[in-house]
Amino acid sequence: MAAQDLRDALVVLALPFAAFLLLGVVRPLRRRGRLAGIVSIVAVAAALVVAVRLELFGAGSDAVGLWPWLPGDGGPMASVGAVVDVLSRKMLVLVTLVSLLVQIYSLGYLHEESAPGLGRYFAYHALFAFSMLGLVLSPSFLQMFIFWELVGLCSYLLIGYYYDRPSAARAAVKAFWITRLGDLGFVAGIVMLWAATGTFDFAPLFAMAKEGTIPFEGFGLVMFLIYLGAVGKSAQFPLHVWLPDAMEGPTPVSALIHAATMVTAGVFMVTRAYPLFVAAPDVLWLIGTVGAFTALLAATMACVENDIKRVLAYSTVSQLSFMMAAIGSGVPRAGFLHLLTHGLFKALLFLGAGAVIHAVGTNDIFRMGRLFRALPGTGTVFLVGTLALAGIPPLPGFFSKEAILTGVWESGRTGVFAVLALTAFLTAFYMFRVMFVAFFGRAHAPYEHAHDAPPSMAVPLWVLAGLTVLAGLRLAMGGGEEHAPPWLLALSLALAVAGFVLAWAAYQAGVVSASALASTFPLSLVDSLARRRYFLDALYAGLYRGVMLGFSRLIGWIDRYLVDGLLNFLSACTLRGGDLLRGIQSGRAQDYLYGVAFGLLALVVWAQLWLRRP
Amino acid sequence: MGGVGEERRSLPPTSNDPVGLNAYLILAALVFSVGLAGVLTRRNAIGILLGIELMLNAVNINLAAFSRFGGDLTGVVFALFTIAITVAEMGVGLALVIAIFRARRTVEADRLDLLKG
Amino acid sequence: MTLAVAAFWAVAAVLLASSLAVILTPNLFHSVLFLALALAATACVFLMLESPLLFGVQLLLYGLGAVVFAVFAIMLTERLVGQRITQASRWIVNGLIVGAGVAAAVLGFLAGRPAPPAAAPPADAVAGVARALTGPFALPFELLAVLLVAALLGAVYFARAEE
Repeated sequence: MAAQDLRDALVVLALPFAAFLLLGVVRPLRRRGRLAGIVSIVAVAAALVVAVRLELFGAGSDAVGLWPWLPGDGGPMASVGAVVDVLSRKMLVLVTLVSLLVQIYSLGYLHEESAPGLGRYFAYHALFAFSMLGLVLSPSFLQMFIFWELVGLCSYLLIGYYYDRPSAARAAVKAFWITRLGDLGFVAGIVMLWAATGTFDFAPLFAMAKEGTIPFEGFGLVMFLIYLGAVGKSAQFPLHVWLPDAMEGPTPVSALIHAATMVTAGVFMVTRAYPLFVAAPDVLWLIGTVGAFTALLAATMACVENDIKRVLAYSTVSQLSFMMAAIGSGVPRAGFLHLLTHGLFKALLFLGAGAVIHAVGTNDIFRMGRLFRALPGTGTVFLVGTLALAGIPPLPGFFSKEAILTGVWESGRTGVFAVLALTAFLTAFYMFRVMFVAFFGRAHAPYEHAHDAPPSMAVPLWVLAGLTVLAGLRLAMGGGEEHAPPWLLALSLALAVAGFVLAWAAYQAGVVSASALASTFPLSLVDSLARRRYFLDALYAGLYRGVMLGFSRLIGWIDRYLVDGLLNFLSACTLRGGDLLRGIQSGRAQDYLYGVAFGLLALVVWAQLWLRRP
Repeated sequence: MGGVGEERRSLPPTSNDPVGLNAYLILAALVFSVGLAGVLTRRNAIGILLGIELMLNAVNINLAAFSRFGGDLTGVVFALFTIAITVAEMGVGLALVIAIFRARRTVEADRLDLLKG
Repeated sequence: MTLAVAAFWAVAAVLLASSLAVILTPNLFHSVLFLALALAATACVFLMLESPLLFGVQLLLYGLGAVVFAVFAIMLTERLVGQRITQASRWIVNGLIVGAGVAAAVLGFLAGRPAPPAAAPPADAVAGVARALTGPFALPFELLAVLLVAALLGAVYFARAEE
């Protein structure tokens, strides 16, 4: 049975890759656009079926398949393979599910794109699905790193999908470079870990951690470096700045890659390697602290953002940090649960936002208003996503968030708990702010041609909404296994409701003036800082301009004035010397004859002085 | 080398030789130098050719003198060749001067400086 | 001092004087005439060297032929330019110094070197030369003929009037 599971997992992995190969190699197919989309969709749908069967009817036991890859003395130096366990099974379902829905949605959302562009888009999508599945199946750090970089590449390609738009190209490069910064640490950490233990594989490493060979000397640094990879990928402070800019890509891409799947790779990696992180408590403490801090930071930025996709992007950063904080506090199960539920409802929210943008043609929530009347379907599913994210029971966000809060509380990290609780309140606030401003409130413009999404877009939305509700109900049924104290349940609910009430009061009822609220101390300080993104983008830009460009200018100066100067000096010497010598060449035959005469004279004198000798 | 000296000493001292080889050589050197100075100083191309004639003439004196005092006719043969070649050179040289004169309206060597660098 | 020695120095004096005159006279035509004199003096030197053949060749070929060439050339160029050609000198001091330097160097080379004892003059010189020209020097002699033809053609080619 375990072998069957392994085979299924490999089939899930192979299907999108086959689709990618087909689209990549067969040019006419790729250039047909919608046909390419259908190829990719069929492959991912088949993969989803296999993944669901694996999850529901699989053996349920862990299975690892390893094949030697790099030969080495005394056994392979590195191997490739797949690991099927509770983490990877659930991730397989999530990735294939969201991929499938997003791809179907894309058919409607991008219907105005040119056929070759669409073919390219779906080829990238198939490659992404393959890479992400490979990442979650990885049984070793090395294989994970390879797929890790592959999803990074897909992210770059898809953010820059509108490559003729300068801001998109810039955002793609920014995302690529900033995540690369983290990956630098990741790869260094992997290599150092290998140097110390001699293996990349998780299973032997976990065994070493269990029997106490790990931690070795300098293990903390190694794990910190590995964590840096997650910092870049999962947009933790201070490398979170790329994610909001990544919203330049098409909205379905944001839903799939920058909300539901790829950005969770960092969380997934830390979850996967959790037994190792446990052996480095300092790093774990850091993960929790940074997670909590980033969660709050991103939440405040989400509260002042007007671009609907950017609100969701900051929300994603915040929720990823929630997961990180959970792992850092010693409850990776809760973090992983939140990863799964968040993947569902954040994809729903992004796709909903995409439908809204599709309908009204703007990203600014303050130029929308009363959309619920024009877009009842979209409004309903967006409301489901909002409730889920805000943490209203019985939707899944409530349970996973509550599980995290419970775990953090029990781990005794009160500071982190307080920050996360505040973040939960802010989460409810900013989500309902979007809801009230965009879907209720006053209409800011007539929307005659605003209409609900076409079926290809609506169906994925409804499926996601339905699955979100189902997941919530299932968690509500099976919630008995979490033994949260009742006061905590009440607190979670109260925070969500408080956020809702504040948003309603400020943006719907007008009881509290939002601008007045924002100008009271100390909120005014936070408001102005958040609006300026805590100067982080400016800081990076300044660093780039000051350090990088300064250094480049210095190098340029050296090249221009020292290196070139030396060469110019040499050439000037040659030229001047040539000018001087040129005077000799008078062109008059007799002047040359003087040379002959002097030569003769010298010859005779030489003969006199030397041939005379006995 | 000493053997050659011995051999030379054994030759008859002279045969109605009034002044000796060196006198001819000195005369030739002086004429050669005068010719060289003429080649170097004359502005007119024809004048330069005349200087060259003087130099070749000096060479001929040398050849003839070596022939006479070496007792070998090769020098005379060479002098003959030189004279013939010199006359040919004179013909071509003067033809060139005329051609240059036609083209440039001058035979002043100073103004024929197309090769100036 | 025998008569022969006196004759030699006299001829040498004439040769040197006329040579200097060739390079110093301002008049080009006079220059050519002095050259003719110098060539004639050289012919006399050849006679003293017991080479009547060279004497004859020098006088006929050189002293007359070459001089006639030069006179032709002068008259042609003068006719073309329509004015008298004067024979100026450039940097005459420099030229004389270099000439004197070369002379001094060569004379220094000769000084202190005793002349090798003279051999007997070759007997039957004219017949010997004739034999040499048809014997060991036959090939250069023929080549010389080719050279003369080539020089003749070249001279005609360069000096012909432009079409």
